[in-house]
Amino acid sequence: MSLYMFPKEKLAAFVEALLPNYRVVGPVQTEYGYAFDDIASPEQLQLDYTTTVLPPKKYFLPQREVLFNFSNEADDQGQPHLDVRPVYADVEPTVIFGVHTCDMNGIMLYDKVFAEGYKDEHYAARREQTYVIGIECLRPCDSAAFCKDMGTLTAPPVYDLHMTDVGDYYMVDAGTGRGEQLLLDHVPATMARKEDIQQLGHVLSAKWPNFRMRLKMSKDQTPSLLTLGYRAKLWEELGEKCLACGSCTNVCPTCFCFDVQDELDITMENGARARIWDSCQLREFALVAGGHNFRETKASRVRHRVMRKGKYIKQVHGLLGCTGCGRCERACLVDITIPGTLNALSDEMQLEPGD
Amino acid sequence: MPAKPKVAFFDFTSCEGCQLTIVDLLQTHLGLVNLVEIVQFREAMTEKGEDYAIAFIEGSCTRKSDEDRLRKIREQAAVVVALGACAHLGGVNAMKNRWAIENVQTYVYGEDGKAMYESYEARPISAVIQVDAAIPGCPIDRFEFLHLVQKMLQGRAPKLPDYPLCVECKLKENACLNKLGKPCLGPITRAGCNAICPTYGDGCEGCRGWIPEANFDEMREILRGHGLSDADIDARFTMFNHYQMQHMGDDAPVTTTVSPVKDEPLPTSTFAAPQEEPVR
Ligand code: SF4
Ligand code: SF4
Ligand code: SF4
Ligand code: SF4
Ligand code: SF4
Repeated sequence: MSLYMFPKEKLAAFVEALLPNYRVVGPVQTEYGYAFDDIASPEQLQLDYTTTVLPPKKYFLPQREVLFNFSNEADDQGQPHLDVRPVYADVEPTVIFGVHTCDMNGIMLYDKVFAEGYKDEHYAARREQTYVIGIECLRPCDSAAFCKDMGTLTAPPVYDLHMTDVGDYYMVDAGTGRGEQLLLDHVPATMARKEDIQQLGHVLSAKWPNFRMRLKMSKDQTPSLLTLGYRAKLWEELGEKCLACGSCTNVCPTCFCFDVQDELDITMENGARARIWDSCQLREFALVAGGHNFRETKASRVRHRVMRKGKYIKQVHGLLGCTGCGRCERACLVDITIPGTLNALSDEMQLEPGD
Repeated sequence: MPAKPKVAFFDFTSCEGCQLTIVDLLQTHLGLVNLVEIVQFREAMTEKGEDYAIAFIEGSCTRKSDEDRLRKIREQAAVVVALGACAHLGGVNAMKNRWAIENVQTYVYGEDGKAMYESYEARPISAVIQVDAAIPGCPIDRFEFLHLVQKMLQGRAPKLPDYPLCVECKLKENACLNKLGKPCLGPITRAGCNAICPTYGDGCEGCRGWIPEANFDEMREILRGHGLSDADIDARFTMFNHYQMQHMGDDAPVTTTVSPVKDEPLPTSTFAAPQEEPVR
């Protein structure tokens, strides 16, 4: 698609112009950091931000989402029947600003999970109505990040618009036709000229040395490392420490497991079916009827998560399940981290460092 | 709909905050009276029906003489539900179990008064009678109460979350207090209150009781990291859950003893007159 540019001071006007017709969300300052939240006026939007507690996945798979309402009704013959009405709450035209490249990689995985093969209607409804505007990461947003290791430091093709700060201007890549239209309708953008594109190339290549590597192996080695390390002692050690709190999965941009619950209103005639985020780190996750739990120990649960991130998701969906965003490291109170785990596993297995 | 089950509310040693929560719930969810028939509820009505199928019991048992009343309720009710932390865990009342009961009685009622007030070690009602379900919390969460009633009416076993509070806290995208240097017992405490304390900036005190796989060792490490002494940490672990710790015996994850200590000085009462010396 085409490359555009607009002066940075026009960002406020861009947001202002969108506000009447779109729900605009993006990183905003909170008491202790940043979070993706609704933008009511342009100055709230902070495009230079450290990692948020939750990734923007909450706009595609809300923490709790009502799927349908149901009620007990009588049909024409007076026979009771259950009336089911799908609910699409808060599904509205939305623009998300400031999505980091790692989080766009998370969205790419979500698209594979929820939109390819079996298409999840609720996911699709939200995704279709949502414009993703990325922001190029030029320096690490958080010391816990290891996006460079995971190859998520470039924008994957899920964005409608992708912005790069090149000094006085934002260079904007239009990833979709509707994104291009959104841009041209709301901000006086001009086509990038040859020298601007050169400047962009300069900025994009200059950023790489700013990011450090944290893994002792290449990301391509993680599936085989995890295969070899399935029975490693490490898992027992981590299981001892783990609090089974589920924070690591709840904050993860690639975790997508949910539980489904029916809730009745006070009449007990009507109710709603909702889905709520769930976590493989919780004891009940793999508990089945009859009381059998196929991941009873915390060690087996910690291992399962890392297996998902570094191997299983890749096997099923073709992408690694970790974007290197560092959120789980920030959330964990007992210092269980993806780089720490993979590196320790590599040590235990005595692997040669990858290139 | 089948006949409405008859329910009754009872209170033992408690602040009545949990019953008050139900009175309040009746204001917003009046439809509850279409689901059940309340035949006895001292805090809300004068009538005292003795024909009930479901008994909600608030408060812990702190007197030997209360045991009979509890047994009588158990005999009548098909289902007994512990209402709130006092009934469910022993709650804050069980903090007194740290001292020998005679010392506590003297401390509270004075040398002259202690003979007039009966007291023994505070305990959850499950220590006296069989309890079928519990609604945790100090006070209870009104919606959890409602869900439990609905589940029972459907003939389904009510189920409490057995995962820690951190789950609800993260879903609300709170900044983690333990990361900010403020002690929070969320990682070992049963979820279900929607992480209300951390959401308003206060660390969880564990009023809903511990999860089945509470990792006390790591929790202690986290709290030590905030500069808390082991005695402070023990105090936090036993604020609502003293009885549980006491009954874990040597397995209790505390550094000090949780069994009654005869000579340990009692704290100065907040209500004591300035010249009053703490009773020993
Ligand atoms: S596993 Fe951790 S670092 Fe990797 S994507 Fe999930 S939260 Fe980010
Ligand atoms: S955040 Fe840490 S302690 Fe909590 S479940 Fe994950 S690994 Fe375990
Ligand atoms: S659990 Fe708390 S609110 Fe309920 S009666 Fe006991 S002290 Fe009062
Ligand atoms: S504030 Fe408390 S409940 Fe919330 S995540 Fe941190 S430890 Fe868990
Ligand atoms: S946050 Fe903790 S102390 Fe507060 S109500 Fe919930 S369980 Fe009780």
